[in-house]
Amino acid sequence: MHSLKDYLRLYFMIETQYIKARMQYRADFIISSIGMFFSSLATLGIFWIIFHSIPDLAGWSFMQLLFIYGFYMIAISPMQILFDHIWQIRFHVQQGTFLKYYFRPLNMMFYYMSEMFDIKGLTQLAAGIVILIYASIQLDISWTLARIALLLLTLFSASLVQISITLLAGCAAFWVLDSYPVLGLAWKLREFAPYPMNIFDGAFRFTFTFIIPLGFVAFYPSQLFIQPEEVSAWVYLSPLVGIGLFALTYWVWTKGVNSYTGTGS
Amino acid sequence: MRAYFAMMRGAYMIGLVYRFGFLFNIAGNLIYMSVTYFLWRSIYQNRETLRGLTFNETYIYVALGSAVFILLKTYVDWQMSFDIREGNIATYLSKPVDLQLYELFTSLGFFLMSLSAITIPTIFLLIFVFRIEVPLGIGLAIFPFSLILAYLLSFCFDYFIGLLGFYTESVWGLSITKEIIITVLSGALIPLQFFPDAIQKILLWLPFQAIYYTPLTMVAQPDLGWGTFLPMLGVQLFWVIALFALTRLFYTQAVKVLRISGG
Amino acid sequence: MSLIHLENLSKQFKILNRREGLSGAFRDLFSGDYRTVEAVAGVSFDIEAGEIVGYIGPNGAGKSTTIKMMTGILKPSGGTLLVNGLAPYDNRIRQAQIMGVVFGQRTQLWWDLPVIESFKILKEIYKVDQKMFDRHMDMFNELVGLKSLHSQQVRTLSLGQRMLCDITASFLHNPQVVFLDEPTIGLDISVKAKIRSVIKELNREHNTTIILTTHDLGDVEALCQRIIIIDKGRILYDGDIKRVNALFGAYRTLKLQINNFSETILQTLKSKLIECFGAEHGITIAENEEFWTDVTIDQARTPLSDVLSFVMNNFPVIDVRIVEISMENVVRKVYDGALK
Repeated sequence: MHSLKDYLRLYFMIETQYIKARMQYRADFIISSIGMFFSSLATLGIFWIIFHSIPDLAGWSFMQLLFIYGFYMIAISPMQILFDHIWQIRFHVQQGTFLKYYFRPLNMMFYYMSEMFDIKGLTQLAAGIVILIYASIQLDISWTLARIALLLLTLFSASLVQISITLLAGCAAFWVLDSYPVLGLAWKLREFAPYPMNIFDGAFRFTFTFIIPLGFVAFYPSQLFIQPEEVSAWVYLSPLVGIGLFALTYWVWTKGVNSYTGTGS
Repeated sequence: MRAYFAMMRGAYMIGLVYRFGFLFNIAGNLIYMSVTYFLWRSIYQNRETLRGLTFNETYIYVALGSAVFILLKTYVDWQMSFDIREGNIATYLSKPVDLQLYELFTSLGFFLMSLSAITIPTIFLLIFVFRIEVPLGIGLAIFPFSLILAYLLSFCFDYFIGLLGFYTESVWGLSITKEIIITVLSGALIPLQFFPDAIQKILLWLPFQAIYYTPLTMVAQPDLGWGTFLPMLGVQLFWVIALFALTRLFYTQAVKVLRISGG
Repeated sequence: MSLIHLENLSKQFKILNRREGLSGAFRDLFSGDYRTVEAVAGVSFDIEAGEIVGYIGPNGAGKSTTIKMMTGILKPSGGTLLVNGLAPYDNRIRQAQIMGVVFGQRTQLWWDLPVIESFKILKEIYKVDQKMFDRHMDMFNELVGLKSLHSQQVRTLSLGQRMLCDITASFLHNPQVVFLDEPTIGLDISVKAKIRSVIKELNREHNTTIILTTHDLGDVEALCQRIIIIDKGRILYDGDIKRVNALFGAYRTLKLQINNFSETILQTLKSKLIECFGAEHGITIAENEEFWTDVTIDQARTPLSDVLSFVMNNFPVIDVRIVEISMENVVRKVYDGALK
């Protein structure tokens, strides 16, 4: 019905309108942006303070960890920006207001996604970019065109991993009455993501690599840039993880949407 | 990160705590404790002590720190700001009620809820799941008292911001600033020993460390003995009295403004 | 081929027999203990282009379920359902192009945006060409003064204004059929009248089929030529509104609140009324909502005032209300064969 081009244009149109509308609530925007900015600053501060006393963490230097952290911040931003309203999905599903997504000649996930654009997430994105660039300069990473393309690809798929994990948890709303805890937990799990996998025990490492692939949100993809010579070939497959996980999430979403019948008869 | 939570608007925080319920908070805390456990264990991999602290001591500090952080949030500044905007303050002032005490006692509700819902489960997790040996020392006995003093101190800061609301329409900016200052300078996130020496010395003179650093040290390093703890308690008490006095003084000034502008 | 064709349409739901308590909730996750509920049991009707049909029935009648199947949300369990020749469930996006839907309580416009932006977005979504867009926007402005609302955010509109915006928005892309669910709910008389005239005009403009679900019989009377009554998943009546109109007009329900009400008093009331006014089926009595008794009277046979004075003289009546016949009573009447 609609081509990809149509969707892109439509999306751009709706989001600019949303941003315009949101900008009117300046106070809200500013508080949250400042909040986000300072929280990132605080975490960085902690990192720095710790590293003030130690040479490395499990074999990783401060700059390397900084790179991973910057990567992490960029990777989690799209989730924040595009799906921040996932927290309300349970409410909409139970009140029946979720039905409105069925009535337009639009793909439902697109429609759902288009209704949110969280500006304060852009602050997080910007902070992440700054940190990443700074760290990569300090680490003397040589940026060829191919490298940059790889970076964009891995960032894209890493963000898909984060989006998928959270969205999957959000889909619980279609089947379970009290789905908030599931969502909240899935969201909190991301706290594991900015750290190197080798600080975790075997069981955790296994989980974060194969079951809930948080390792692919920042750590594994970062390897390709901070330690390209020592990386095993399969790490180059990391983009597939994001894409594959998102495909699974989309499938679950479709199932949820098809099984939802609204309230009342 | 607890820091992130601290920076968000108070109302949102309250909503978060209520929204997700008991189990989520425990599970959420479990996640934080796991992350920090691995992190610090890694840091301590090749060393026995760092900046004078062992792994055990640091981890207890950090793990309990997050629970204590939530516990000591009083939200009085947000509550008062709300009351001022809604006009409720006028009602309180017309009653024979001491505003400061009123705000203190209403905030205790959160304290108790937090204590049972978060703090105590965290302690359980610490001992039984993470199997951290908490050495028995006098610090543990003094800890509850220190915690209460810390709460009163935290309350004073929040109350002060709340009083500023009598002068300005919205206090959110000030509130956030206060949050940041306290969180960073009080040793809420990591023990003060980790800060560079020069900065450490300065921080120990400020009242903020009396909120987090003091009680957390008592539980992390309980056998430092009376010699260390008594002065710490003394300092806490000093700050509590000083700030209570200052805020009461400030109140008499602030309330005049309110009466003039109509409340 | 009619625009909307239903033949022996049915829908069953599997409802979990929920158990009590926390452990019960746990076991529910794994149990297979379901019961089957037949929400729609063999419904057939055809609707042609341009008709305005009232689709009514009490709550739980299967009304929303049929509508949800027609709009492509639910998959039928059995029977045939074709809208414009296609099965809605299997062609959701395609069908959405020719449909408009308005839900009484929930807006389909973008909450935070100015009204005009919602319309512009809809223009893009439905691929409405500029000429038709302009023409329609002019028409909407003439009908409801839309221009004055253009720059207001949807969230700031009054219920009536929002309803008018939602309704006009549903016609923007010139759909073949529009489903209106409770379009006048919660609105006062003058706004209701306005909405009804707008709907009429929009139907006239492009010969748009309209399916109206409502509990407000005033809506039905004002707009519909045809009425379909559904109850317990089956069609009770499908035909001209005039017959049902006659039914509505004549009936009134007398709501009484009697002091020290009890089962005995109810029986006494029943027998005394029959005794006094004879015709048993001219008057029906039912207990309704805590202490209120409904006495439904066919004014063609028995004047309301007579019944009222009789009751007041013989029973300790505390409070009285007179209402037009309710939906439940209409259906009950039809069920009892009043239309046969």
